[in-house]
Amino acid sequence: MGRAGGEEVMVSPEPRAVKKMEWLRACPPYAQGTPLREGDIREKRVTFVEDHPDIRYSWAAGQAISKFLNGLKEGKIYGVKCNKCERIMVPPRMFCELCYKPIDEWVELKDTGTVLTFSISYVGPDAERLPEPAIPAVIEIDGASPGMGILHVLGEVKPEDVYIGMRVKAVWKDEKEREGAITDIKYWKPLEVRK
Amino acid sequence: MERVTEPTELRHWEGRIEAYWIYTSGKAGDHFFKKLKEEGKFTASKCKKCGKVYFPPRIYCERDLEETEFIEVSGEGEVESFTIAKLDPYERELPKPQIYALIRIYGTDGRLIHLLGGVEPENVKIGMRVRPVLKPKEEREGRITDLLYFKPI
Amino acid sequence: MGCEAMEVEGISGLEFQKKQNVAIVGAGMTLWRRRLLETGRELSYLAVKQALEEAGLTLDSVEAVVMGSAPDAFDGVHMKGDYLLDGAGGSDRPYIRVFVGGGTGVFAPIAGYWHVASGLFDVVLVVCEEKMSSVHPHAQTAFRYIWDPILERPLRPNLTWIFAMEMRRYMEVNKVKHEDIALVAVKNKRNALDHPCAQLAERITVEDVLNSEPIALPVRRLDISPPSDGAAALVMVAEHLARRLTDEPVWVTGVGWSLDTTWWTNRDLYFPRYVAEAAKMAYKMAHITDPRKQIDVVEPYDPFDYKELHHLEGLGLARKGEAPILTREGVTERDGDLPVCPSGGLLGVGNPIAAAMGVKACEIYWQLAYRAGKRQVKKEVTTGLCQAWGDLMQIGTVMIMSNKRP
Repeated sequence: MGRAGGEEVMVSPEPRAVKKMEWLRACPPYAQGTPLREGDIREKRVTFVEDHPDIRYSWAAGQAISKFLNGLKEGKIYGVKCNKCERIMVPPRMFCELCYKPIDEWVELKDTGTVLTFSISYVGPDAERLPEPAIPAVIEIDGASPGMGILHVLGEVKPEDVYIGMRVKAVWKDEKEREGAITDIKYWKPLEVRK
Repeated sequence: MERVTEPTELRHWEGRIEAYWIYTSGKAGDHFFKKLKEEGKFTASKCKKCGKVYFPPRIYCERDLEETEFIEVSGEGEVESFTIAKLDPYERELPKPQIYALIRIYGTDGRLIHLLGGVEPENVKIGMRVRPVLKPKEEREGRITDLLYFKPI
Repeated sequence: MGCEAMEVEGISGLEFQKKQNVAIVGAGMTLWRRRLLETGRELSYLAVKQALEEAGLTLDSVEAVVMGSAPDAFDGVHMKGDYLLDGAGGSDRPYIRVFVGGGTGVFAPIAGYWHVASGLFDVVLVVCEEKMSSVHPHAQTAFRYIWDPILERPLRPNLTWIFAMEMRRYMEVNKVKHEDIALVAVKNKRNALDHPCAQLAERITVEDVLNSEPIALPVRRLDISPPSDGAAALVMVAEHLARRLTDEPVWVTGVGWSLDTTWWTNRDLYFPRYVAEAAKMAYKMAHITDPRKQIDVVEPYDPFDYKELHHLEGLGLARKGEAPILTREGVTERDGDLPVCPSGGLLGVGNPIAAAMGVKACEIYWQLAYRAGKRQVKKEVTTGLCQAWGDLMQIGTVMIMSNKRP
């Protein structure tokens, strides 16, 4: 077998034993590359080109998420059910990815849940420091199958009081301010205070 | 199973990509642009093994991955192909048509795409000899735009 | 609390048939730093040159090239694979670019393996390159676009949020303390002192880690590996050539890869099931029935210190919750019973996403060929495993190598 064309592969004629002595030192034997500092770019010690592209998108939400977003506008959280595996899923989707068949019905879920995991974040999306920490969490929604969570943020709670298993409730925006977006829920706050 | 059938209820989400990029020129590119900026000279690179001359220069030969050495070239060349652009990238009409040409640089196996200037579109011919016109030294930045255009010799 | 994810039958009924055995005979790496002057093509060239030198081959012998490189968004060049082609030796020969996020570091050699094992090619060059310094203001900006645009981005998340949440879940379910996890960062950064390409090698203590700047608790600055520029390359050849080129080829005995869905909030994050599935596939192919006894040296993917523990459990090399105990007892040190990340891993050497191949696949190759110099592990090694992971907690890629005759 060889390359599809059928030619013989040329092997270097140098005796392998000689090369082996040099390489037995350690691999990789050398590391090439020219490090730069941030100052080199700021002070133009090296040549470079800048590009600020203007890339805009209009993402189609699709059937399932459109209905989910419209539901958020009305102050409701919707999930979907697959009758074969009997899972109730959120965020909703048009087909069950495990049974690989269309889902069977929409289910209205509650707006309370349980914290599955969380973090206390001091950084924003561009790695900038935040003055007040954000508390993102994965929240299992009541009414959906166990383990079905969504990503959101917690509020009205001190970072040190958050724990896995905490019961929380959604805090919604005023009806006239809602636009059918995940941010129609401002944040989730604890249902009861931990003793 | 109810579906959304009203088109106005199907949602779209607007957004943009907000990153921006800074491209450093690399080892070969840095050498090329610094020479262009400081001395107004053009650099090409020649493979030590097969002798192929690359323009713009690279630190390696793409045929055998051997090292190359930098050599100087005049920057003069001849037009291998050209096109006359009447619209800008957003399909608006340009005040004056621009001529883009593929210019084979003498002394190298490479070509450059750049503007032609100092000539009317109807007078451009394939095979026409051209030489580069640079910005005055104070205005050069170390970019391809330090070259204003190529004009006929 | 009922958080068990639904159990699904994994991969079943796999029959592995290959035309020829595959060996690795050379590898190379460039320096890894936060920003390098060289362009992506120049970095690929430097790594490829070193790999071809070790293999004793020139570019004419290479029949096909596989390039692994993570998002175009870092370099800001569309169709990045084609852009990097000439520096990687891809001119005028079959060339393919593969990309599965962070898993590319081990997925590119797997793709190289397919090329040779299928009998289509005898000599394949695998190159991985990454230039994360081009995107501004920070490499994290490009990572913003991994999140769902409708349900997640409006909440203004940072990528470290997922890791922080996974780490918190892992610590809670397995009852692990941050001190035990910090031992991994201490070990890897110390191991990296012996690596010539290392970006962040230093001696630190557990206190340094626990007192470092909080990013997204429980993750702190010294728990994370930095973005880097760099490249790495490997040469894979067919059996009949391997024996002519060297006395010590390293054979690829098993490969595996598996992905999970993007609905990461529907999964219990404490156990990486996709890594277990990928490992199952690789172990079956390599005829390994007792990984803990039969694997001698391991390079799991460690972009965060807890990830090394998380993956060791996913790979079946430790029981659930046992990995931190192994670390505390020194089992995973270079002179231990199961050395883990002897190169210093991503925490010590750097994390150029795809080019992480240099400290994963290339390192296992060098360990099994006994050419790792000061990083060589104390015990005798026959079988090694490297693993990578990527996307939105989705992919596990595993490769098993051995220096025994197949």
